Amino acid sequence: MAGSAASVVHQACEALVPLAIGLAVDHAVDGAPPVAILIAVAAVLLLFTVLGAGGGLASWVLSSTALREAHELRVRAVGHVLVDPLAGRERRPGELMSILTSDTRATAEIVRVLAYLASGCAGLAVAVVVLLRVDVWLGLGVVLVLPLLVLGIDRLGPWVERKVRDSRQAGGLAAALAAELVHALRPLRGFGGVPEAVQRYRRASRQSLDTMLDTASASALVTVVGQLATGVLLVGTAAAAGTMALSGRITAGEFVTVVVMASFVAEPVRRIASSVEQIAGSRAGAARVAALLTTRIRRSSGATGLGPLTVRDVAIGPVVGLEFTLAPGEVLGVATTDPAAADAIVALLAGRAAPSSGSVGFGDIAVDDVDVRRHVLVEPHAAYLLGGTLDAAIDTGRGADRGAVDRAVAAAGVVDVLESLARQGEALLEGGANLSGGQRQRVALARALAAEPPVLVLRDPLTAVDAVTEDAVARGLRSLRRKDALGTVVVTTSPPLLSRCDRVVFLDGDGPPVVATHARLAEIPAYAEAVLR
Amino acid sequence: MSATLVDRPVWTECDAPVLPIATSGQTAAGLWWAMRNHPADCVVALLLTLLTGVGVVAAPLFLGRLVDAVRAAGRPDLIPLLVLTAASVVFGAVFASLAQRATERLGARIAADLREQVLACALGIESRVLERVGSGDIASRVTEDVENFVAAVPLAATVFSAATTIVVSAAGFATVDWRLAVAFTVVFPVYWLSLRAYLPKAGPLYAAERRAAAGRGQVVLESLHGLPTVHAYDMAEPQTRRVTAASERTLTAALRAQRLFIWFMKSMNAAEALGLSAILLAGYWLVDAGAVTVGEVTAAALLFHRLFDPLGTVLLSFDDVQRAGAALARIVGVTLVPRPVPTSNRPHDGPVGIVARGIRHSYDEGHDVVRGIDVEVPAGTSLAVVGASGAGKTTLAGILAGVFPSTSGRILLVDTRGSVDIGDLDPGQVRDWIGMVSQETHVFAGTLRDDVVFAAPDSTDEQVHAALHAVGAGPWVVALPDGLDTVVGTGGHALTAAQVQQLALARLLLRDPPVVVLDEATAEAGSSGARDLEQAAAALLAGRTAVVVAHRLTQARACDRIAVMADGLVVELGTHDQLVAQGGRYADLWSAWSRRY
Repeated sequence: MAGSAASVVHQACEALVPLAIGLAVDHAVDGAPPVAILIAVAAVLLLFTVLGAGGGLASWVLSSTALREAHELRVRAVGHVLVDPLAGRERRPGELMSILTSDTRATAEIVRVLAYLASGCAGLAVAVVVLLRVDVWLGLGVVLVLPLLVLGIDRLGPWVERKVRDSRQAGGLAAALAAELVHALRPLRGFGGVPEAVQRYRRASRQSLDTMLDTASASALVTVVGQLATGVLLVGTAAAAGTMALSGRITAGEFVTVVVMASFVAEPVRRIASSVEQIAGSRAGAARVAALLTTRIRRSSGATGLGPLTVRDVAIGPVVGLEFTLAPGEVLGVATTDPAAADAIVALLAGRAAPSSGSVGFGDIAVDDVDVRRHVLVEPHAAYLLGGTLDAAIDTGRGADRGAVDRAVAAAGVVDVLESLARQGEALLEGGANLSGGQRQRVALARALAAEPPVLVLRDPLTAVDAVTEDAVARGLRSLRRKDALGTVVVTTSPPLLSRCDRVVFLDGDGPPVVATHARLAEIPAYAEAVLR
Repeated sequence: MSATLVDRPVWTECDAPVLPIATSGQTAAGLWWAMRNHPADCVVALLLTLLTGVGVVAAPLFLGRLVDAVRAAGRPDLIPLLVLTAASVVFGAVFASLAQRATERLGARIAADLREQVLACALGIESRVLERVGSGDIASRVTEDVENFVAAVPLAATVFSAATTIVVSAAGFATVDWRLAVAFTVVFPVYWLSLRAYLPKAGPLYAAERRAAAGRGQVVLESLHGLPTVHAYDMAEPQTRRVTAASERTLTAALRAQRLFIWFMKSMNAAEALGLSAILLAGYWLVDAGAVTVGEVTAAALLFHRLFDPLGTVLLSFDDVQRAGAALARIVGVTLVPRPVPTSNRPHDGPVGIVARGIRHSYDEGHDVVRGIDVEVPAGTSLAVVGASGAGKTTLAGILAGVFPSTSGRILLVDTRGSVDIGDLDPGQVRDWIGMVSQETHVFAGTLRDDVVFAAPDSTDEQVHAALHAVGAGPWVVALPDGLDTVVGTGGHALTAAQVQQLALARLLLRDPPVVVLDEATAEAGSSGARDLEQAAAALLAGRTAVVVAHRLTQARACDRIAVMADGLVVELGTHDQLVAQGGRYADLWSAWSRRY
């Protein structure tokens, strides 16, 4: 508000500058005593002092508000995307990135643009009042013609908005492609896809260019319409006032004021026109930000003292008749011959997919009534590490206990990773890029263990680890989870892991699940075949 | 400050922690390069802008004469002057619009050329450099900086036309009276002094702002790439805190820059007040002396008043121009990263073997990850590389495949016509010799066909189907609702880890290089999936020279020879049977692998 008020004061002063020039020329320059010109100069300096102070205040308040607003909007949108898997589901990281940075900024600019619009209107109002005082008919003529001109320019708004949106979208797609190509550079290099990638980006860039060329033509049209409109006003006013001055209806001095003011009127009208254009840009950005913010964050009660994870007669995807209760401290193996069955079970436990029949719950409480992610942690198989250090990568905001972290690091066999990172100066590169695949997997496992979730679901956690290390980590994993009396489900066909499980659920094709120990199951030929390396 | 200090590129060695930022000279050269591709557009934009300036200046001059006509005794005819004023207004408006269109379109073309060039350079950057600086910095340059630069295009058009208007206006003053023109020039010392105080402070402040924004970009991008992890751990809160902190740093830097900017704006208002006062005082004196008419003073005041806008545009946009300049410097900076110059680009002839001599590699000074390896893979044979994780297998594989150069040592590719150093081959052509599937795989957003033919864009649908079939992807691809037109990647049809690996193998099969390097290409699947992938890999390996990094020892056993790595060295080398009989590390690994649990 303060910003808008200061901006209005600033623009009103700007509108008074032509009046000051007219009065000075008429009363001071034209053969008046020297004191008159000194008064005129003093008045000009005073006017500019107020103008400068108002402008400075307006600029500071408006831009700091816009920057803060953009920051808050960005943080909120990031929060939504990070909390809600549905929020950014259909967009690529590059596209999301452009919404979170550019569009939040464009949206917040609306504060500044609206103040700009208000001050344009204020400047226009001052100009109209000055003209009305010179001659009612002259003033009324301007007052009647102006709204028509402004409204006419306004009508171009939606049309330009569409062009700007198309242009933004094409630019966003090109940016998304660029971000994806840079992100996937290593695999791209491996199969020699760089020249083709350059070609594909070029096509996207040219498409974006076409829309930009189109937008340039559209905004040039807005420019010519705006300038012609104000020009018509200027010439029309000068003609009318000139005729009136010649017929003696207004004085020569008033003619000067009218002519100077009429040439100033272009400024607030242009201000209004450009605000309209910018509002279009802000709206286009705001629509995309709003799409991220509309998804509702569901927070069911974080009930404590839940019973054990219980799966009753569940059918999902190729799986039929899945049934188990995960006792505290139990490590349950799930071995499948069909990877789709493994996927289905992981999706079921992660709460990403609902069973077609049967139920999942904690004791007697249905899974829908609790916040699954608070109780069940499903470690994503593609290990991605966040943060710039190993400590940051393992810190997930849960189980902040230092002892838990140390025990997890030991159990997951990450000690040698610590050493190798220490030699490299501790810094963890983006996503853990400076670790080997096996190291990343083990750090991710340590992260999962340190979080101490009541139920931990792991999918093929040690596939990139050599046989000796795999054996040691499998042992560490079991003893840590058992000691803390926490439940674990390991979906795998790795014998070192399965042999450490208390029970194993074996799913072979369409047949019913078989539950037994690894040693028992090893007598079934299909199982022996499935876990054979 | 000496010239050499200013002109020296920030980039010195590839160990630098950040990508280079171009100096002003290098940035200007980059821009000049882009402009030279559109000479006709440049000339047209310049001419149109000059004509616009003439229109802008003519209108106030005619208005001044109208004032004199009205004040004159008698009843002069106003029509001719009004017609001239109207004509100059229409002239100015039409040319302003045409000039704006021409300049903006020219700018858009230049921006498109630059962004395509910078992406090509970014994709050509040495992997060693890439991993050190992080893809976030590069991504923010090819997205946000490019966007900032593109957004500055209309602004550049406006600034250019404003600057032209100021020059033409100065000539306009002179046509009225030279003493009024002199009075007008009092504004320039004020502008000069405030620019001199402003610019040296503004540069570092805006640079700090850009740096903070790049840091923010890195954190946001990391969060987006790690979304599955963030969701799984429900760790939105701590991760949002990280983003918030980075965004706050950007905010602080931006506000600091803004405060300086406002000070500068006020100094401009002071210059305007001084200029107007000077013109009024000079006008009073000249009218008093009978040198000029009241109408001419009015015209001068009007002309100066009309200059507020273009002067403001030019001076205030120093801020935005500097921003766009900073973005451009970061864009051009990417093109400055030295790239290896290929000296050989002959196609291979017949089967190809690999000879590696004295390979050493470190990602930083001091600690070698690979510490001196000599190994040969004769044409048509396969070598498995096994060992504990962190032993340097992936590094060795990357070096052998020429994905990044080793710190020292040479990789020679040997065919029937002799040998070629892999580092001498053109980066676009080296993949005709040797292809690689790395641990890190990616499904490109788009159709399945686009994804697979990425490595060989001219492939026919029959070839694509054949390749997919060979890697065992035939059944599930046929079952897809839209076949090869199915959209995959982010937001598209979800693929399993094993399917993603099959696509990676199929790409290479289509590319058909005589040598392949597989880095744990079966690691992403469980053992049943891994066995299918082993068969898929075998289809790719058939008839080729191969290096296979494997922790699945069944896959290693299928290779002609096995190299065991430990701590950056090859400690054992031989056939499966030899190494098992030898009773060393491989024998230990094998017994752990084949142990019955």
